[in-house]
Amino acid sequence: MPLIKMPPPHGGKLVERVVKKRDIAEKMIAGCPTYELKPTTLPDGTPIRHVYREIMSVCYGFFSPVEGSMVQNELERVLNERRLLSEWIFPYPILFDISEEDYKALDVKEGDRLVLMLKGQPFATLDIEEVYKIDPEDVATRTFGTPEKNPEVVREPFNEKHPGYMIYKMHNPVILAGKYTIVNEPKFKEPFDRFWFPPSKCREVIKNEKKWRTVIAHQTRNVPHVGHEMLMKCAAYTGDIEPCHGILVNAIIGAKRRGDYPDEAILEGHEAVNKYGYIKPERHMVTFTLWDMRYGNPIESLLHGVIRQNMGCTHHMFGRDHAAVGEYYDMYATQILWSKGIPSFGFEAPPNEVDYGLKIIPQNMAEFWYCPICQEIAYSESCGHTDAKQKFSGSFLRGMVAEGIMPPRVVMRPEVYKQIVKWWKVYNYPFVNRKYLDIKNKELEIDLPAMEVPKA
Amino acid sequence: MPHYIAVYLDDSRYEKIKGTPLEEKITYLFGGQLKSLVVEVPEDKSEKILKAFEKARIDSRGYIEDVPVAFRRALFEEIAKAKSLDVIDKVLERLDELVEAGKKEDEYIPPPEIE
Repeated sequence: MPLIKMPPPHGGKLVERVVKKRDIAEKMIAGCPTYELKPTTLPDGTPIRHVYREIMSVCYGFFSPVEGSMVQNELERVLNERRLLSEWIFPYPILFDISEEDYKALDVKEGDRLVLMLKGQPFATLDIEEVYKIDPEDVATRTFGTPEKNPEVVREPFNEKHPGYMIYKMHNPVILAGKYTIVNEPKFKEPFDRFWFPPSKCREVIKNEKKWRTVIAHQTRNVPHVGHEMLMKCAAYTGDIEPCHGILVNAIIGAKRRGDYPDEAILEGHEAVNKYGYIKPERHMVTFTLWDMRYGNPIESLLHGVIRQNMGCTHHMFGRDHAAVGEYYDMYATQILWSKGIPSFGFEAPPNEVDYGLKIIPQNMAEFWYCPICQEIAYSESCGHTDAKQKFSGSFLRGMVAEGIMPPRVVMRPEVYKQIVKWWKVYNYPFVNRKYLDIKNKELEIDLPAMEVPKA
Repeated sequence: MPHYIAVYLDDSRYEKIKGTPLEEKITYLFGGQLKSLVVEVPEDKSEKILKAFEKARIDSRGYIEDVPVAFRRALFEEIAKAKSLDVIDKVLERLDELVEAGKKEDEYIPPPEIE
């Protein structure tokens, strides 16, 4: 068996569209029209997406080879076949949407450069290649699929209760397509700053500091309980002639659904796993990607494959109900995609076995539970005492946390629980609620240095 | 089919039922590290609970979850008072009050006092 090595970035080359030199950036934006970025909101005003997060993930290469807001032909290709115009697979529409009123007021056209402002400062540019209109509801429906068109995995029609569906449904109808470039590099606030490893940096750390040859990625939007910890430990036994050298936790940071944990607690909770030795830091590293989670199960898993391959991972673990909410998809939809493909979504074979596909190797995992007979955390495919299982249910844990009862060590590590309480004290609430979403939307994860837009 | 609600017992709750017949009904989970009392809820009553609390749901184990903290606390209060697990009717008598308390929990839940 040949030894596995770090795969190339998806598309062959990492996208890096960040101008670091102030004089060059100022020349780029001089005299250009400006537009202050706005959040996508639900009809009641709840913020559910901030496009700045997508711009960051594009420009720092997490979404390589995507370089900006998609042109109409590319959007159609992604919705129909999950492929970019360059043939490389990609799961989601990435769009810069504005309202009819804003479009009229801006008076921009193809060929113009628009300066995207954030918190009152220049942040990025959008070089407009095409302007077109979408029907947001149609985009939302086609993004996630329907039971009729995607019968292999879609079980229920998507509706207003699905956060990802609502993100696309609430998109504005006018799309400005073109490449993004960050012209004023943001500074991350604590605690985000110490977990910020964009793909080029992450690859360098994996190779030169950690010296990991094989790395398995762990997707998270959760504070880890011991079931997650066991998933990481056991999935990492894959590899080649030896288990994976490293476990890369990559948290999705952005607007989430109510009842999820605050982003800060997620990051510091995972950090506690290595800080307190449950998986030693020599083997475990916590990072994040900015993205307002779409909860798209198999579709989201494709994005996770893209992101983590770009970050330098060789393997990716996928559990049951991966990045899922509700019962819209089959609970094994992600595992179906990565084991045999989903033809109706454009995959006659798994995403790592098609042309222009991913190189990251999937590791589909079943479930972990506590077995009182084995007296240990058991793997569902090994343990023969199914009737006696004691499951790590997320809602069971949330109930315990909300009541202020410290979960037992075998369920959640006390040091991890303390991170929940730490951020609970900051936000007066242990979970994401409307107030948290409003605060996050206002403050974001970053600050921007002061910068002028020079006159032409 | 009945559903269930688990009431978790930390040390202070355990003290309140110690020495009563409830002690025999304690379920030990996770190698004895977690004590709980399991209250059986007939289907018609679990429907009432699900209707009253928007976020409440039945999880894959058949347990009613995501009910307000106020509901869980009331459930334990009634159990401790009656020294019995047959208290769901008593709790449902307080449903209006608990729905109101639950609404406030969207904004604030007091954090536990731990270092």
